[in-house]
Amino acid sequence: MTLARRAHPFTTGAVALTAVTLALLLADTQDVIVLYLVTVLVAVATGAGAGVRRGLYVVVPIWALLFILQVLLGLDPRTAAPWGGTMSVPGVQFALSQGSRLAVIATASLAFATTFDPQRFLQASIARGWPFGAAFLLVATLDAADRLASQARQLREAQRTRGVMVSGSLATRARALPALIFPLLLTSLTEADDRALALDTRGLLLTGRRTAIDPPADSPTGRALRWLMLVLVIAAAVWRVRR
Amino acid sequence: MKERRSIAAPASGSVKALSDDSGIEYWHGRILVTSQGYILPTSTPVNHYLRISPRLLALVPAAVAINLVVGTITRELSLPVYLDTIGTVLVAAVSGFGPGVLVGAVSQLLLGLLTGYQYLPFVVIQWLLALLVALAASYHGFRSVFRTVLWGLACGACCGALSAVISYTLFGGSTGGGVGWLTAALRSAGLPLGVAVAIGSSSTDLLDKTIVIVVTGMLLRTLPRRILGRFPRAARAVGQ
Repeated sequence: MTLARRAHPFTTGAVALTAVTLALLLADTQDVIVLYLVTVLVAVATGAGAGVRRGLYVVVPIWALLFILQVLLGLDPRTAAPWGGTMSVPGVQFALSQGSRLAVIATASLAFATTFDPQRFLQASIARGWPFGAAFLLVATLDAADRLASQARQLREAQRTRGVMVSGSLATRARALPALIFPLLLTSLTEADDRALALDTRGLLLTGRRTAIDPPADSPTGRALRWLMLVLVIAAAVWRVRR
Repeated sequence: MKERRSIAAPASGSVKALSDDSGIEYWHGRILVTSQGYILPTSTPVNHYLRISPRLLALVPAAVAINLVVGTITRELSLPVYLDTIGTVLVAAVSGFGPGVLVGAVSQLLLGLLTGYQYLPFVVIQWLLALLVALAASYHGFRSVFRTVLWGLACGACCGALSAVISYTLFGGSTGGGVGWLTAALRSAGLPLGVAVAIGSSSTDLLDKTIVIVVTGMLLRTLPRRILGRFPRAARAVGQ
């Protein structure tokens, strides 16, 4: 198991949140580019390298659009481009600044996502005494998304056997839409009461301190790291305000 | 649809609360704020606390899942819209603004786990949509196709305008996806960046939100009375 997966979920969350906050607070483009490199290094070193790869899939199209809209078609003044032709000077500044900020945000959040285990997070929240409803909402939603995606796949096959066309012209595909989504919407409304009853009878909304059955281990190093992240964010915020 | 009932406070003791069909109640210090805005004194000082009704706790995850799954279905059908706010619209129509906001926020948080949190600022569009749909529901906006189309166009225009502002200010028009490339095409055609972003965002949102609201309206009007009876706001939305 990688270091990122072994770590307490609050610690990985705190590190990712710090990277995102610093990306928003840092003013100089060079600092944000360094932050991106640090984020990539930390993600790879702790075994969350898949997040870096997923982050690149997300930000490369954004970088391409920033290049077209800001660098090639940006505002004057313009300067000679290395590939011949000209490029916008403020456009290059904006593209580098926003491109690197978005890269940090995408990489940090997706690196966190690759290590995120909803059940560990739920147990950690219970152990910490956080509001159960909020943590349950997240976990139940992930479960519901899996269940509904599976229902949608079955429904699609069933509707195809009944003659619904899911390929062809735009009009044909658009006509298939109600047949594919109406049953899902209707099911979610009709099942709401049954599920509510089940939640109620299982005492899900009882108040009072809950007991975590298998909370993830929290180490002094993890706690120290979370405090360090908080200090870093506060320091960056103070520095930004005073600048 | 209000009833007076006794509910257990998070600390010791109990408070009287007004409960409505949206299912959210808030405690703050020595007052209690219901989702309809009633402020009531409590006998017990309690911490800030949010209690969600079981029905809402069952409905919200399903609605968020609908947002994600219907978005996927639409992508698989290669349609030029997103339809990833249909769960938010459905819940805002049947349960009100607060639950709609909750669905929008959880959807965007969960989407962040799949695509990164750089799109988190767009959560305000989901909130604006929830507000407009709750308003539409209270004015029988889902009574006929004509009304849903009008409300859909209004929602699309408002959400498109807000989306354009976010896209221009935070992303410089480079949001990725189809809208970004449409903006690039319009910009290459000689339009100023602000205009290109506004046209790109507004045209997509106008179509997308209109379809979402028309589809939700069609669903609400076909619901049997038995189910409508469980959601008084939905009954009001379709004029029953």
